Amino acid sequence: MAGDVDGGLPSESTWRRGDPLVGVVVGGLLVTVVAGLVQIRFGAYEMPLGTVLDALLDTGVWFRPKVLATLLLGDGVAHFLGVHAATDHLSNPTFVVWTMRLPRVLVGVLVGANLAVAGAVFQAITRNELASPYVLGISSGAGLAVLLVLTVVPTAAGLLPVAASLGGAAAFVLVYAIAWRGGTSPVRLVLAGVVVATVGQSLQTGLFYLLDNKAAVSKAIEWTTGSLTGVGWTQVHVAAVPTLVVLPLLVIFSRQLDVLMLGERTASSLGMPVEYVRFGVAALAIVATAAAVAVAGLVSFVGLIVPHVVRTVLGGSDQRRLLIGCVVAGPALVVAADVVARLALSPLQLPVGIVTGLIGGPYFLYLLRRADPLTT
Amino acid sequence: MSEHAAPDRRPETETETDAGDEAALLATDVELGYAGLDEPVVDCDTVVVPEGEVTALVGPNGSGKSTLLKGLSRDLAPDAGEVLLDGRAVQEYGTKEYARRLGVLAQQNESPGDTTVENLVSHGRYPHRGAFEGMSEADHAAVERAMERAGVVDLRDEQVGNLSGGQKQLAFIAMVLAQETDVLLLDEPTTYLDLHHQLRVMEVVRDLNETADVTVCIVLHDITQAARYADYLVALDDGEIYDWGPPADVVTEELLADVFEVDAIVEYDTEPRIVPRRARTD
Repeated sequence: MAGDVDGGLPSESTWRRGDPLVGVVVGGLLVTVVAGLVQIRFGAYEMPLGTVLDALLDTGVWFRPKVLATLLLGDGVAHFLGVHAATDHLSNPTFVVWTMRLPRVLVGVLVGANLAVAGAVFQAITRNELASPYVLGISSGAGLAVLLVLTVVPTAAGLLPVAASLGGAAAFVLVYAIAWRGGTSPVRLVLAGVVVATVGQSLQTGLFYLLDNKAAVSKAIEWTTGSLTGVGWTQVHVAAVPTLVVLPLLVIFSRQLDVLMLGERTASSLGMPVEYVRFGVAALAIVATAAAVAVAGLVSFVGLIVPHVVRTVLGGSDQRRLLIGCVVAGPALVVAADVVARLALSPLQLPVGIVTGLIGGPYFLYLLRRADPLTT
Repeated sequence: MSEHAAPDRRPETETETDAGDEAALLATDVELGYAGLDEPVVDCDTVVVPEGEVTALVGPNGSGKSTLLKGLSRDLAPDAGEVLLDGRAVQEYGTKEYARRLGVLAQQNESPGDTTVENLVSHGRYPHRGAFEGMSEADHAAVERAMERAGVVDLRDEQVGNLSGGQKQLAFIAMVLAQETDVLLLDEPTTYLDLHHQLRVMEVVRDLNETADVTVCIVLHDITQAARYADYLVALDDGEIYDWGPPADVVTEELLADVFEVDAIVEYDTEPRIVPRRARTD
């Protein structure tokens, strides 16, 4: 895949011998796979690991393209494309794995990758290592939109993904409009983000009082803390489409981020149209964030911690390596956290955002305790 | 030395006619200011940066040197007047096109601490590369040349965060040199450097001008340094041009008294010698 430095041919400088990036990629994949297998194995319907592997590798799925297509795309789309096949013949384990547990793991992967990459991008754009994907107002916009839908049309829960993405995007545009004065700057953008977030947060909290039943309240909490409960292939589709477009583009544009890290004045004197580039890259990162928010709500800390951890391993001078690291490390965190969220208090399922928050706080405590240049 | 005759200002017409043709940069009637300020910070009739020469902008703190440089580098759009690069208005150039003609070293530079010098210098090739192009042979060769000129070849694998202030400045100069522009603007490149690195920076600049025929416009804090290394001086006083010309004409006891507010003795042997005596308080 994108193993090149400049969008050209692969070069040695991205994959060096004994490269820590290889370690990050292998480690990230390992954690994701192990956590994914645990997630698939345990739960209300428990099965031995052998059964899990049999189900995942079921020849009745893999060698029958129409069955595979029906499982992946859902009955409706498969019918529409004329590739529908009955899935009744599948064993119970295969059915559970393929229709319920695997898609949840995949959604976790997509959410983690998007949030981590978007976080890294926003940290580069704002040149602030403590920026998150939500720094430009998207969380308050999405949260407010979700609350509005739940209060005004409580029955329209199906609208929530759309509402969250649109609300987030609208907040981003608003932040840009507030920050714009013949141009922007990282500080102005962050401050405008604070303005929008503060107002949005207040409105959002106010709307909670208008929710009149417990179901709506827990739905709202689920959205504002981020949850993967009940996700399926539909959510995989929703998140996968933007992910497959946006993440490769961001990796390709990463050299622009490297130059932007030299400061706007230098970037501009090197011939970069700074405002266009910054807006374009931010917009791509917002799409990535919206893809995650639409399927999982506002999962906290992932977009903040993952780039931070990856940067301590890989350094911050090469954004392409950083983004590639985030693409694998983000899923590792979310999938592992979701195992805890789903199984720790089984049968009660926690929002995954609670678990990532519980991991995120102590991580910063660790940073504080370590003699780190960040804290001095 | 309390009273001075009016300084011997060169007639502006002369400036325009004798340098207008070969001016790499020519600013006419420019007013430069910042949002929120009523008065422009810089208000000049004519500023000429002659092609193939080293021109130094000098003046006390707050005289508008850096602002004028920002105007010349297109960093700051003038409120009035225009700036021409090779006879063409600077706004007409495309962003990358402009960056291939004119390089700027900002007063303060930053980069992620773990960037290697070579990596940093290769960013100077940005305006020569398409959005999706890798580094070509020509790009690598330009990076090598730039590192050699700036004397940072030995530091190529060092991380910028581990360099001394002077080494860092030379690394950033190498980055700008990798742009391979005809014109180079430098904003106080020697300020805060130790003497050794001040001289190295100035020697790099002089060498670049002499052997590669690059037009240089440089803001300098130190007027002795300016008089020593520059072919022309532009002395700024409170946003206006006080005097313009070869150092021997510009650097006078009057200039130091009027503009810098110091009593000083100025002598010329082969090189200028400026001995400041005391600050003027009137």
